[in-house]
Amino acid sequence: MKRLLRVSLLCVFVSGCGGIQSPLAPAGDQAAALHGLLLLMVAVCGVIYLLVLGGLAWSLWRRRPAAAGDNEPSDAALGRGLGVTAGVIVAGLTVLIVGSFLADRALFATRAQPAMEVRVTGHQWWWRIEYRDAAGRWIETANELHLPLGRTTRVLLGSADVIHSFWVPNVAGKIDMIPGRRNLLDLTPRRAGWYRGQCAEFCGAQHAHMALDVKVEDATTFDSWLAEQGRPAAAPAGPRAAQGAAVFAGPCGICHAVRGTPAAGRAGPDLTHLASRRSIAAGTLPMSRGGLQGWIAQPQALKPGTSMPAVPLRPADADALSSYLTTLR
Amino acid sequence: MIFVRPPGPVSPALTRRAPCWAAPLLVAVLGGCSSEARQLGPTAPQTRPISNADPRIPAYQANVYQVAQGGRYFGWYGCGGCHAEGATGVLNLGDTQWKHGDGFADLFTAIADRHGRLAYDRRVPVEVLWQLTAFVRDLPAHKAEKRMRTARDQKAEPQGATWSGPQ
Repeated sequence: MKRLLRVSLLCVFVSGCGGIQSPLAPAGDQAAALHGLLLLMVAVCGVIYLLVLGGLAWSLWRRRPAAAGDNEPSDAALGRGLGVTAGVIVAGLTVLIVGSFLADRALFATRAQPAMEVRVTGHQWWWRIEYRDAAGRWIETANELHLPLGRTTRVLLGSADVIHSFWVPNVAGKIDMIPGRRNLLDLTPRRAGWYRGQCAEFCGAQHAHMALDVKVEDATTFDSWLAEQGRPAAAPAGPRAAQGAAVFAGPCGICHAVRGTPAAGRAGPDLTHLASRRSIAAGTLPMSRGGLQGWIAQPQALKPGTSMPAVPLRPADADALSSYLTTLR
Repeated sequence: MIFVRPPGPVSPALTRRAPCWAAPLLVAVLGGCSSEARQLGPTAPQTRPISNADPRIPAYQANVYQVAQGGRYFGWYGCGGCHAEGATGVLNLGDTQWKHGDGFADLFTAIADRHGRLAYDRRVPVEVLWQLTAFVRDLPAHKAEKRMRTARDQKAEPQGATWSGPQ
């Protein structure tokens, strides 16, 4: 029974080590370098911890040499012990400094090479993402970052309002997004799959609802995805979607862009291929027609404080609008 | 950790009373805490103000957060294209010489209905129009110092030479 308890307790602790948002399951070169550094630090600190406890036990256990007169007795064993301690401290620090230096070099190893550029701009509370394609054209999307497997992507980080922080733990370490500055981060993912990023600097009421879906996929799939994102939106198919498009042109287009239509606002996320994304409002809701309709009807109830205002719409219009948005693939 | 007071006479510093101006100062400082208090959640007005004395007005006009949100939308919607600082005549919004009246409902109507084909009544959600109206009515109170701070804050928004959108 006791053993079962111990094993289950261990499981609880270790269960936090994997998953889609963990630096302990690296899926890229940069994350692997940091993971290696973390393991080295745990190992060195573990050894030092055991040595300290050993020294403490030794000092409790051993007999103090008898005093000779008024003078402190000379203690050869203690002198040797202190020498060894000083040596171990210097050796441990040296190992850590060298490890830190090498990890740092590994993080910047790709900096001199050309790489695909992606601008990620933090907003309260969503991510504007722009890819530069082979032709030099910027292709905009939001809240979902796709990365080609095995290729280096250079992320140019900025902010439009307050300080945010870009952190996708499985792929790389975190780096701040500072208004008026541009920070660079190279990402070289090595394992395909979905990961989750999260703003890592408190940025206001909805900081917790500022998540980023990250998909690492093979280069061919990525290229076709990017080409698809670069296309303008398809014309609405059917009368219902057309009605939705007409509704969209009114109150939505002043903040949101759908390329290929007159809607060209830039205050909110680009919605040209909204339905191809996995979630709504930076990871607040899963993508579904019901989710879209709920989000449009009461954004302040779902994400209080968001700059997306509630738009009073007739039910038939709201229905047509969500129907139109689900066609934006 | 436990701190034990040392034996002996208590130091006079511990028994001295707070100065008489401390309480008013505290009240003055904490009084600012409610200036941007807001209801988070779906409490936004769904309709226009019914008159210049609509009871919903103070929640917007006297609230720093709502006024500031109006300022953000003012920038995002490109109002500064015509009404930027230095605009003259009817375009100047900071001189209190509003052509259609200075009441909340008057200005609301001027924004929503008097922009011709821009048709803001149809394109801008009602709640944002409330915030924009509060911001515009607040503009005459913006002195040079505040305008400089606002300009500095908004510099981070991509625009002009710092534009980060599609070229």
